[in-house]
Amino acid sequence: MKVFNSIKWRLQIWYGLILVVVLAGLGITAIKFEQERQMTWLMTNLEQRFAAVAGVLHPHPPERPSPGQTPDDLPPPQNLRPDQFHLPQQFSNLFDSNDPHNFYFIVFRNGEIFAQSTNAQVYIHSGEKPQHYPRMFDIARPLPSGEFVTVGCSTEPEFQELKSMAWKLGITCIAILIFGLIVGGWLVSRALRPVENISAAAVKISAGDLSQRINVAEAESELGQLAAVLNSTFARLESAFAQQKQFASDAAHELRTPVSVILTQTQTVLNRERDAASYKQTVEACQRAAQRMRKLIESLLALARFDAGQEVLKRQRFDFSRTIADCAELVKPLAAERSVKILFELEPMEIIGDSERLAQAVTNLLTNAVQYNVPDGEVRVKLQASGGLAVLTVADTGQGIAAADLSRVFERFYRGDQSRTGAGNAGLGLAICKVIVEAHGGTIEVSSQENAGTIFTVRLPT
Amino acid sequence: MRILIVEDEPDLLASLAQALREEGYAVDTADNGDDGLFNAEGTDYDAIILDVMLPGLDGWEILKRLRKTKKTPVLMLTARDQTRDRVKGLDTGADDYVIKPFDLEEIFARLRAIIRRSANKTTNVIEIGDVKIDTAARNVFFKDKVVEITAREYALVEFLALHRGEVVTRTQLYEHLFDENESSLSNLLDVHVSNVRKKLGAEFIATRRGHGYCIE
Repeated sequence: MKVFNSIKWRLQIWYGLILVVVLAGLGITAIKFEQERQMTWLMTNLEQRFAAVAGVLHPHPPERPSPGQTPDDLPPPQNLRPDQFHLPQQFSNLFDSNDPHNFYFIVFRNGEIFAQSTNAQVYIHSGEKPQHYPRMFDIARPLPSGEFVTVGCSTEPEFQELKSMAWKLGITCIAILIFGLIVGGWLVSRALRPVENISAAAVKISAGDLSQRINVAEAESELGQLAAVLNSTFARLESAFAQQKQFASDAAHELRTPVSVILTQTQTVLNRERDAASYKQTVEACQRAAQRMRKLIESLLALARFDAGQEVLKRQRFDFSRTIADCAELVKPLAAERSVKILFELEPMEIIGDSERLAQAVTNLLTNAVQYNVPDGEVRVKLQASGGLAVLTVADTGQGIAAADLSRVFERFYRGDQSRTGAGNAGLGLAICKVIVEAHGGTIEVSSQENAGTIFTVRLPT
Repeated sequence: MRILIVEDEPDLLASLAQALREEGYAVDTADNGDDGLFNAEGTDYDAIILDVMLPGLDGWEILKRLRKTKKTPVLMLTARDQTRDRVKGLDTGADDYVIKPFDLEEIFARLRAIIRRSANKTTNVIEIGDVKIDTAARNVFFKDKVVEITAREYALVEFLALHRGEVVTRTQLYEHLFDENESSLSNLLDVHVSNVRKKLGAEFIATRRGHGYCIE
């Protein structure tokens, strides 16, 4: 049922039930106390009357006439005749039939009624049972002189009192219950309002507006933490989405320049009749552009596959030092061109992983080290084992990277010098290195000093 | 007309310069920001084609600095197509903004437009007496008949026509008709003027002794 799914209503119902139980308990307790009080009062009165009656039949020895009592009113008890039984003056109003309690007494002697108060008739049953028993209470005890005395009363007034009290209590409790439910409902609403805020923000976010944040100032302390965590999650989501969009847009971007080369070159050459040499030049320029695009596409696809988790890495055991040496061979021509020396310190080391992909990463690092170097500069490549990891460092003596840019070198499409379109460098090389290294469970770090050089450190599990 | 192209992609720079030269423009080139700015400040170009992403100073910087001293029409060339980049370019002082890749024909047309605008001309066709110059088709008509005219001669006519009423010095003509690659022989200019007079009438171009030439 929908009602039972709402926390607010569930709280209300529970709260209401508890309130009912508590109020009922209190009410019942109150009535019980009142009942006890009534009982005590009745008992006191009954005992008093009992003593009065018993006193007539069985006065306390030694018998001494008290002032106000005529001596000849006191015959010896055993000889008392029924008609001689009467209560002393001061007790005469104890059994007043005007009193709603209807105090009565009955004295039995030898199984027969010896004396009774005037209002006792109602309480004597003989023969058929009465229609309904009146509410009554009595105490009945034998006396040492052999009589059996019953003193009782009607508890009707008490009953009516209790009834009226119960009604009053009942109405009061209901009023309190209603008031409590209203106040409780309001409190619950207030308490749950931050939750509603949070879920409202979450709904907006899932609908696509990633810039929404929960207003933390409103949320109280317990929910404040939740709101803060959610806010930071939303911020991460937003930035991840933005990065994705940026990646796609940057990728398309990068293709613009080579395409524009092809377009302008071909349009120009076709403007008029040309000689073979001109056509050849144009075709070569187009080829260069196409190669750039091919490299770019390969890089983009690799990154996209890694991103989507579709990249299946081979897991083979191979000698990493051999792989690095092979990569160095590839980079040798470029190094020679820029008169950069490559120095090696490689420990033979076996690791498990995808040798092709790692070779790609190493080649990227070496190429960068050579390209961003100074003429007659050096590239030092070191491979050693340390703490259960294979540690590869590639250090160059190039122009270095500014501290502000250092944290961004692994970003996609980030180029040190924002314009290096000529070199065919799209700024993806390091991003790919990072993705490959991390897919192997490793880490890659960079440190640099401007105008001194840069060091890339790759750590891979062995 | 003399154009400066500042673009770092060599294949693009080469063929764009060639295409413009074949259109009859004198073209200077620069492949980085600093050289580009130096050239732009030092010479009165009729238009500058400026790439945004350059080594050294980027296109924005060059434009900002250039605008302090020169009103040369600038056509920005770039791969950045975001609206805010366009707005930034136009607000910084560019006269037009073209996204790569582009059609050559479009560049030509936009170039003509910004040059025309800077000369405060609104149509493509300039009529001076019996001479009609169609700057779009780069044709010259004399008494409504097409005139055979070389590219250099056309450039001379167009330049003087766009500066109609002003006296244009020989130095200015050299600057605007020849690019840095050509050695300026001082009598080459006279030859062109003389040829134009033969084709369009002797009074077409007036000589101001000691000052220069003008079309009235």
